[in-house]
Amino acid sequence: MTTRLVILAMLSIAASSFGFTPANAEADSNANGKELYQLCAQCHGKDGLGNQVALAPAIAGQRDWYLLNQITKFRSGQRGTHFYDIAGMRMRPMALSLRTDQDVADVVAYVAAMPPEKPAATLEGGDPEKGKTHFQVCLACHGPNGEGMQALNAPTLNHSSDWYLLTQLQNFRAGIRGTNPEDVTGAIMRPMSMTLPDEQALQDVIAYIMTLSESK
Amino acid sequence: MIERYVEIASTYGGNIDALILLIAALVGFWLVLCEVVFIGFIIKFREKPGVRGQYITGEEKHQKRWIAIPHYLVLVCDIVIIVFAVNIWYTVKQDLPEPDVTVRIIGQQWAWSFVHPGTDGLLDTEDDIKMVDELHVEKDKVYHFKLEARDVMHSFSVPVFRLKQDAVPGRIITGWFEATKLGSFDIQCAEICGIGHGMMAAKIFIESPEEHQKWVALNDPTEDSKHTSTVAANNAAAN
Ligand code: HEC
Ligand code: HEC
Ligand SMILES: [Cu+2]
Repeated sequence: MTTRLVILAMLSIAASSFGFTPANAEADSNANGKELYQLCAQCHGKDGLGNQVALAPAIAGQRDWYLLNQITKFRSGQRGTHFYDIAGMRMRPMALSLRTDQDVADVVAYVAAMPPEKPAATLEGGDPEKGKTHFQVCLACHGPNGEGMQALNAPTLNHSSDWYLLTQLQNFRAGIRGTNPEDVTGAIMRPMSMTLPDEQALQDVIAYIMTLSESK
Repeated sequence: MIERYVEIASTYGGNIDALILLIAALVGFWLVLCEVVFIGFIIKFREKPGVRGQYITGEEKHQKRWIAIPHYLVLVCDIVIIVFAVNIWYTVKQDLPEPDVTVRIIGQQWAWSFVHPGTDGLLDTEDDIKMVDELHVEKDKVYHFKLEARDVMHSFSVPVFRLKQDAVPGRIITGWFEATKLGSFDIQCAEICGIGHGMMAAKIFIESPEEHQKWVALNDPTEDSKHTSTVAANNAAAN
């Protein structure tokens, strides 16, 4: 730690004496983000691609505003404090371990910059064709390719794992997520999850989401 | 003495402290005595010009006494400790007084969840109040708790009660407490249970009967009332 600081200081002095701008704030904040991510890697994996055994979703390349929003919710108890929210209760103390707003911002920037990867399907029995019909509701907010939309606070879905999409949709429907009175954006998604008539529709819409990819 | 550093808020807290002090005093006495004797011998028998070191087998009576007498005295101290410890263990862990209220406590990675019996005073009914991180109890009432673990082992620890009980997956362990002080106090997990163990904190709120009634009424999940706690509110929605 101290060694790192000393090296950084020496580098920035060297850089400035050669007429470069000293190690800028952005590089510094990424170093902090990288260090903080060591903890997250325990469950989300070192590349942020998730780990089903730990119930930890893929987060690499998720939108920074959404990451910030969710970590803030875990910290304030809007998410991860429900009696039946097994996975959320695991994540909440991790979010609370970030000490300052700057730490949150740094780790968010680090995660958002990780390259996403389309995870392999783990569920069977969903029909993407039927799912496409259901998805007509979703695309209004999550975008036609599930790429997410900041104006509507709707996150990217197209590189999430199918098992995670399923638990989240089930959680929204059961009121485990999106029912906290303070959770404004969750409250927007909860009624949307109710537009899916049954468990099979969840499987179908997820099967369709699994066919989507970022096409920008 | 310990109370100066950590308050006592349960009926049996004082017994536990007394036992800890008894053990500390007896063991401490022997520790100090042994060190004094050892250091005394080291000084007394230090290297001296013209004196050769001896090989001592320790078989002679006057040498053996140094071991034998303390040995028997320590055994007596052990028996004293055991008698006190068993006595207190029996009161705290085995002889459960009849409960006024029973709550369910569930440990999981990494939070404590609580099921309060609600208005009807019975567990596993419609009006149970389910909460994460908050246990609400009434002062001067005997509580039984049914302790469970959802995943790995945890240990339910309330320092001001001097209470610690392991929670074991697959088992329902019954314990008891009676709170003697109003206020809110820490609940911890005292069994390493994974990466979030150190942050598995919750609070116990010890309330007067009136306060507690009010809290129960406000959080009744069968009533569409204004909830005092956002936690209760979102739990009510899933009931
Ligand atoms: C102990 C394992 C664990 C660690 C460590 C951990 N997480 Fe998580 N995280 C989870 C789990 C489990 C979930 C899923 C919660 C759910 O299903 O509601 C999650 C969910 C999330 C989410 C929400 C994703 C979404 O799409 O809504 C974000 C963001 C997140 N974690 C970020 C982090 C960051 C940043 C760190 C490091 C500071 C971190 N996590 C450390 C287990 C962990
Ligand atoms: C009115 C806009 C809107 C519509 C329509 C909508 N969503 Fe959402 N969705 C959101 C918002 C906002 C969030 C973020 C919730 C939060 O902040 O916790 C979200 C979150 C989600 C999540 C959680 C993602 C994660 O990483 O945790 C899933 C899964 C999801 N939506 C799926 C769907 C599906 C499937 C549909 C169609 C049936 C749908 N959404 C329709 C707004 C919408
Ligand atoms: Cu624990």
